[in-house]
Amino acid sequence: MTMGDIITLPVVPLPPPSDWKQEPSQGNSISPFVERKLIPVGPAYLAHVRRVVHDLSFEEHDKHVEEVEKRRRNLEQEEDEDDLGVGDEEETEDILSLDPKEWKKQDHYEVLGLSHLRYKATPEQIKIAHRKKVLKHHPDKKAGAVGSSNDDAFFKCIQKAHDVLTHPEKHRQFDSVDPHYDLLDTDVPTAQQVTKARDPNSAFFKLFAPVFEREARFSRKQPVPLLGEYSDSKEKVEGFYDFWYNFDSWRSFEYLDKEVNEGSDNRDDKRYTEKKNKAERARRKKEDTARLRNIVDVALSADPRIKRIKQEEKEAREAKRKNKTGPGGGLSKTQAEEEKRRAEEEAKAKEESEKTAKAEAKKAKAAAANAAKKARRAARAEGGGAEAS
Amino acid sequence: MSLNGQVPNGSAQAPIEIPSLQTVIGINFGNSFASIAVLTKEGLAECIANEDGERQIACAISFHGEETYIGNEAKQQLVKNSANTIIGFRNLLGKKFSELPKDRSTSSAPVIQHPEVPDTPAYKVQVLLPAPSPLSPAASSLQTPRTNNTPAASQFATPRSEPIPAERVLTPADVTTLFLRSLLQSAEAFLGKPVDGAVLTVPGWFAPVQLEALREAASAAGIRVLQLLEDAGAAALCASANVSTIATTDVGPDRTQLVVDLGASSSSLSLLAVRQGLFHHLTQPAHHLEDVGGDVIDDRLLKFFAKDFTKKTSVPLKVAPAASDAVADLRAEARLRLALLHTKRTVAASSVGSGSSTATCAVESLKDGLDYTGSINRMRFDMEAAPIYASVVARAGELIQRAGLDWVQVDEVVYAGGSSCLPGLDATLAVRLRKNATTPFFTGTVAGGGIGDPTTILARGAALQARLLAEIGGGTAVEDERVRKAFEHESEHVEVKATARTIGVLFPEAAESGGLGGQWIGGIQAETAVPARRTYALEVDLGEYDVGGEKLVGLEVWEVKEGVKVEKVKPPKDEDEAPESEDEDEEEEVEVAERTISKEVYLGALAVRARQGRKRGSGWRASIEVQFLIEASGKLQVSAYETGNDGTKDVIVLG
Repeated sequence: MTMGDIITLPVVPLPPPSDWKQEPSQGNSISPFVERKLIPVGPAYLAHVRRVVHDLSFEEHDKHVEEVEKRRRNLEQEEDEDDLGVGDEEETEDILSLDPKEWKKQDHYEVLGLSHLRYKATPEQIKIAHRKKVLKHHPDKKAGAVGSSNDDAFFKCIQKAHDVLTHPEKHRQFDSVDPHYDLLDTDVPTAQQVTKARDPNSAFFKLFAPVFEREARFSRKQPVPLLGEYSDSKEKVEGFYDFWYNFDSWRSFEYLDKEVNEGSDNRDDKRYTEKKNKAERARRKKEDTARLRNIVDVALSADPRIKRIKQEEKEAREAKRKNKTGPGGGLSKTQAEEEKRRAEEEAKAKEESEKTAKAEAKKAKAAAANAAKKARRAARAEGGGAEAS
Repeated sequence: MSLNGQVPNGSAQAPIEIPSLQTVIGINFGNSFASIAVLTKEGLAECIANEDGERQIACAISFHGEETYIGNEAKQQLVKNSANTIIGFRNLLGKKFSELPKDRSTSSAPVIQHPEVPDTPAYKVQVLLPAPSPLSPAASSLQTPRTNNTPAASQFATPRSEPIPAERVLTPADVTTLFLRSLLQSAEAFLGKPVDGAVLTVPGWFAPVQLEALREAASAAGIRVLQLLEDAGAAALCASANVSTIATTDVGPDRTQLVVDLGASSSSLSLLAVRQGLFHHLTQPAHHLEDVGGDVIDDRLLKFFAKDFTKKTSVPLKVAPAASDAVADLRAEARLRLALLHTKRTVAASSVGSGSSTATCAVESLKDGLDYTGSINRMRFDMEAAPIYASVVARAGELIQRAGLDWVQVDEVVYAGGSSCLPGLDATLAVRLRKNATTPFFTGTVAGGGIGDPTTILARGAALQARLLAEIGGGTAVEDERVRKAFEHESEHVEVKATARTIGVLFPEAAESGGLGGQWIGGIQAETAVPARRTYALEVDLGEYDVGGEKLVGLEVWEVKEGVKVEKVKPPKDEDEAPESEDEDEEEEVEVAERTISKEVYLGALAVRARQGRKRGSGWRASIEVQFLIEASGKLQVSAYETGNDGTKDVIVLG
C-alpha cells in the first residue's frame, strides 16, 4: 500500500448546515481490537511483514517502495532492447512499390529504413533494421490480408538490400556509387560563391566543410583531416591540403558494370563485356580522381586561412626586421607619429600580402597539377599491374 | 581473476554471471486433479498444459506391465486395470492407517496396511520388472579364455529374458513424489529451463503433519517448495491480482469475499475479509465439506444415464454403487464416469459460451457389447445437480452466520475447483447475494481462461505467490530471511489485531433529515488488520462560494455499527406480466435485507477551510482528501485537507 493508493470516491457531500459546529471529542476511544490470523499471501502481506521486520512507518515504507520501483524501472529501461538508433523511417509509396528485378537501381539504405545513416550504418544497425523490416513485411504476415496476397515484391527488395549491405565487398561497391550522393557530388561550391558571400570567411567553411566530410568516407586512411576552422595553425592547414592532394580512395565502380548477357554462352561476348566494363571502371575512377582534385583546388584558392597565414608570416618578418633596426630611433618618437607610421605600414603590408597570396595560389596550382600527374601515373601503373595480373 | 586483478594468459575462467530472476511455478495439487501455472513475459500467471495437452491433470498413477502411466492416461486404466491404478492419494499424505475410514468402497487400487512399516497406508500394485541384462559377449569371453577347439562366441547379444512379474508397495508419499516429479517435468519441458522453486496449494484443513509429509514428498520429487499456500489464499490472491483493472465492478479494496472451492472429491467454503490486499478468515476454520463435490454430481448423473441405457437397450445396469460382484457393471461404471467428464465440460461450456444447451454422453461398448449415446439438457442437468448446489448454499449460509454476518454483506464470490464451473451453482448463490455483489460469472471473467476461471485460479494464484517470494530481497541477508520466514506456516507475523468496528467520517448535510444526517464514508472497515492506513479523495459541494474566499467543510469522525435490516415488502408489480395470471392475487411478501449503519461512538470533528473551489456545472466544488491511520497500539489519527494544500490540514489523534 502506497500513497498512490488513494481511493477516489464518487460521492459528493453537500455543504454542512449553517449551524454546524466543530464539537470536540468527549474522550471516547475506539472499540478494542480483535485477534485475527492473516493468510500469508500477496504483496500486501509482504508489505505488512516488511514494515514489521524493517520497523518502518507507512511513510517510510512508501519511500522504500518508490525507490525499489524506480530502480526496477531503470533496470527495465536498460534491458529494453536498444535499436542503436535505427528508429522507424516512414515508407513512401515509391519505396513500397519497388520492383525487385530492378534491384540495382534501388536505394538499399532507404529500403531498410537507414537513409538517415547511410554509409555510417554499422553492421549491427543493418542487422537490426533488416530484422525490423522483415517482421513487418514478411509474406507470412500478409497471408491473411485481403487483396495483397502473393505480394512479396517489397520483401524481395528488403532481402536484396540486406544481401548487398551485409556483404563487405558488395557494401563497399554500393557505397561507392550511392545514388543519394549523386546530386550532392555534382553540386560543388565555387570560388565565386565564397568571394561573393557577405562574410567570405565563414561562408567558405560553411560551404566546403560538408563537401570534405562527404568525400572523407572514401579514404583508405582514417581518420581523415577535415576542413577545420579559421584559426587553424599553418601546419594544420598544410597537412590538410597535403592529405587531400594525395587522397587514397577506395572508391570503385564495379556496381555500375553492365551485366554479361546471361543467355549467351559466347566466351568472346563475355570477354568483350568484361573488357568494356573494366575500361568503364577505369574511366570513372579517373573522373572521380579529377573531380576530387578539382574540389581541393577550388577550396585552396578560396581558403581564407591561406591569406591569413601569409599575412601573419609577413608581419612576423616585418617585426623581425623592425626589431633589428628599431631600437635606435623608435624610442624618441612621439606616440602620434608612431601610430601614423604603423597605419602606413599596415596598408603596405596588405597590398603586398595580396600579391604574395596570388603567387602562392599559382604555386599551389602548379603543385596540384604535379600531384595530379603523379596520381595519373600511379593509376596507370595500377591499371597496368592489374592487367598484367 | 588472479591476485593483482589481471587475467593470466590462457586461464579459462567463466564470466561472472549476472543472477537472473528465478524461474518459479505454481502448482495446484488437489486430491483429484492438479494444474501447473507459470509466469508469462507480461508478468501474468498462466496455466499450462502437460505433454498430453491437459490443463487439468488427473491425480492418478497406473502401473501396467513395465509401463507407468501418470495423469489422465492413468485414469483410462481404471476401466481394465483398476487394481493397479492409484487415485485419491493426496488426502492420505501424513495419515496413519488406523485413522483412515475403512468402509470406503473404491474402484481403484485398495489402500492396505504397509507390510513392513507399522500403521502406514500403502498400495500394492503388480508390475513387471525388466529382467537383468545378460552378460555382454565381451565379459563372457574374458571369463572363458578361448581355445582353438571351442567355436567363436556369437557376436549377437543374448536376448533379454522375459520381464519378471513383481509386486511393488508404494506409500502415498511415494506416489505423490512420482506424481509431482511428472508435474515438474511438464513444467520444465514447457519453460525449457530448470524450475528454481514452486508454491504448492494445500487445503486449509491440512494438519501440520500432513503439510510436513507433502513438503517432504515434494522435496523428494526435486521441487524446492517456496510455500505451501492455503487454497483460499491462492484463489483470493488471483482474484484480486488485478481487481482495479476491471472497470465494471464496484469492488473496493475492502470487501468480504466468499471463496467457494468445489472440487471433485470434496469442497470447502471460506469467508475472507479482504482489506486492501490483506486476507484473513472471518471464521476459523474454513468449512470442509467432504460429502459435497463433483463426484456426488457424477453419481447422480451416472444413475441418470444408466437408467437411460437400460431404457434404450433393456440391459440392466446398476451403478453408483455398482453391484460389487459384477465385473461388467464395475467396468461400465468406470467407462461411464470417464465419459461424464466430457459431458460436464460441455455443460459448463454451454453456460458461459453460446453452445447448444444439451450435452451428449457417448460410450462405446458400455455393457454386453452395446454402445450408448445419450444426451442431457441443461434443465435436466440442473435438476440432478440441484441438491448439491442447495447443500453448498446452505453450508455457505451457516458459515456466514457463524461470522455474524448476513448474505447481503458478502461483496464478492470467488470460485475455485473444476466443479464450480458448472452452471447453476452461481445462479443458486446469486439468489441469496445482494444485487451488485461480484461473481466471476457476473463480470464475465470465467470464459476463455479469464481471471476468474475456477479450474486454473488456484495454480495461477500459487504462481503469483511464487513470484512474490522469489523477488524478496533488497534488505540485509538476515532481514530477508526473516521476511521469507514470515510466509511459513504458523509464522508469528500472521497473528494480528483487527478493528472490531468500522470507523469513518460523516459529512453533515442540512438537507439530509433522516438517517445519519449526512454523507457517510467508511474509512477503516471492521475486521481491518492494524496497522492500517486509508486515504480517500473526494469532491465536496461548497454551496455558495467566492473565488479566493474560504469555505468551511465539516467532518465528524464516528465509530459505527453495521447491521442488516430485513424488511418484508411486496414485490413490485411487473407491468409486463399477464393480468390474468392467477399468482398475482396471492402475492407473497418477500424479505429484503438491507445494510444499515448506526452511529455508536462520536470520536471528534474536523474542519477544512477550502480555498480552491472550482466551478462544476452550477455549483462550486473542492477536492478533499481524508486520511485514516490506525496503529497497532490503538492510536487513531484522522486528518483531512484540501488536495495539494497542506495548509488546510486538520488532524485529530485518539488513543
